[in-house]
Amino acid sequence: MDNVIQIDHLYKSYGDVKAVSDLSFVVKKGELFAFLGVNGAGKSTTISMICGQLAKDSGTVTVLGHNVEKEFDAVSRKIGVVFQTSVLDKKLSVKDNLKSRAALYGITGKAFEKRLAELSATLDLGRFLNRPLEKLSGGQRRRVDIARALLHEPEILILDEPTTGLDPQTRRLLWNVVENLRNERQLTVFLTTHYMEEAADADYIIILEAGKIAAEGTPLTLKNEYAGDYVTLYGCSEEQAEGLGVSFTKVRDGVRIKVSDTAEVTDLILKHPELFKDYEVTKGKMDDVFLAVTGKAPEGGDAQ
Amino acid sequence: MILLNVVRRNLKVFFKDKGFFISALISPMILLVLYATFLANVYKESYMSALPEGFTISEPLINGTVVGQLISSLLAVCCVTIAFCSNLLMITDKASGTIGDFTVSPVKRSTIAAGYYLASAASTLIVTLSALTVGLLYLSTQGWYMSFTDVLFVIGDVILLTLFGTALSSCIHFFLSTNGQASAVGTIVSAGYGFFCGAYMPISSFGSGLQRFLTFLPGTYGTSLLKNHMMNGVFREMEASGYPAEVLKGIRDSIDCNLYFFDAKVPLWVMAAVLIGSVVGFTGLFVLFHVLAKRHIKKQ
Repeated sequence: MDNVIQIDHLYKSYGDVKAVSDLSFVVKKGELFAFLGVNGAGKSTTISMICGQLAKDSGTVTVLGHNVEKEFDAVSRKIGVVFQTSVLDKKLSVKDNLKSRAALYGITGKAFEKRLAELSATLDLGRFLNRPLEKLSGGQRRRVDIARALLHEPEILILDEPTTGLDPQTRRLLWNVVENLRNERQLTVFLTTHYMEEAADADYIIILEAGKIAAEGTPLTLKNEYAGDYVTLYGCSEEQAEGLGVSFTKVRDGVRIKVSDTAEVTDLILKHPELFKDYEVTKGKMDDVFLAVTGKAPEGGDAQ
Repeated sequence: MILLNVVRRNLKVFFKDKGFFISALISPMILLVLYATFLANVYKESYMSALPEGFTISEPLINGTVVGQLISSLLAVCCVTIAFCSNLLMITDKASGTIGDFTVSPVKRSTIAAGYYLASAASTLIVTLSALTVGLLYLSTQGWYMSFTDVLFVIGDVILLTLFGTALSSCIHFFLSTNGQASAVGTIVSAGYGFFCGAYMPISSFGSGLQRFLTFLPGTYGTSLLKNHMMNGVFREMEASGYPAEVLKGIRDSIDCNLYFFDAKVPLWVMAAVLIGSVVGFTGLFVLFHVLAKRHIKKQ
């Protein structure tokens, strides 16, 4: 099956507020799918409906061929969710937490011990398995959250702002784990994040605004469409840059010119080869895309 | 198997919060001390003054009567109020979002509901049976007339009342979603339940309209059951000591051992049946709430 999540004409309102309005998209097997938007755009509402936590007004949500509302039992065994904030029991140890959650899927006894050993090795939980969750650092807790989501070996991992508030090192560790799982098991990852650099690594991105899709595509197509490119000319003075006939910004070692695409850069090079001795062409960032689409800067800022 | 694991998790979470568990455990003890300190003498003098002229009563018998009434009233209240205190996990889980972690799993909603109910009943029972043990020990130092069967019946009553308190609190707590709301409800129940079930003041001392209204509440029968079984021994002793039947009836009426539903005396088995029916009814209602509940609506 190619489409693991399929949303068709989904609607959800809270009174007069249309949280999700005629939303349709598909998530393909094995891809990292980024679902972006400002707070209140409808991301969490959509995730809640995908996870069977919230009844829709109309439309259909299909996960791995199962209708979420009619066949939730089958769906729930295929999805793992990492919530925005940890929802595990803070007073209980990591092991007790994972044991109690694994039992919900019928994983007990030796099967649990085996799975725990695997996850412990993957997420490096060994040092704090017997410590209460409340005594762990934010990064350690997040690793436990991911272990909980992976207990039943789901085919789809839903990450709802998984790295908010984490230090860069822990973020990198988590993404390495997710990346390995994607490579080894073809795990599909459905991600919401405020960190645009994380979204930049996605296979496909949807930017949601007021419950509707405001933009969608691969990071490259979105950057091309909404962010443009930059060319930085090193060793070029302002006087020389004025000769190019385009607007520019002075930077420390030269000037930076915003161009619509790489073809425009080629054109400039052909016309003024004497100025293009040391230069760099850079793609626009996902932050620029987000800003252009929503009119608002992403809350997380640059992740790296 | 899944239910057992859900119950185990709920109990672990409850007992890991040591402060909460200990406060739940000592609150009945504090009540017992307060009762004994401030009310025992008032009750004792009240009994003495109510006895017909010429009757004498031994010190252990009057103490057994007073303490029996105090302990049965205390337990009748505690079984319900402690249940409201220990049955907070379902609200805490809602407030923290933990309930979402359960509902994204394939576990049935009725299993989640039963897990909360059984864990809460078990933790409340630990507290109420501890309170009963302390109460019986105190009674044994004041005047012991209970038979082994009486003790078994009292244990049964405490279990029934605890299940009743758990079922009632489960139904009410189902509609609460913050710890503040739970705290407010707990305060109201703690303050008011003792009056409504006839524990703080005998129902016989209220006006006839209120008396009639209170006989429609199942908790009233639980309190009366406990009083009957706890004081069975002292009544037997009074009877053996030659107390006239009218005097005994007067005492039984005055402390609600005799309950009347529209002037008809309610037998003990009917009291037990009302309580069992209430436990079954409220428990069924609670499970039904969970099954019928729409999916948990998350804040955006």
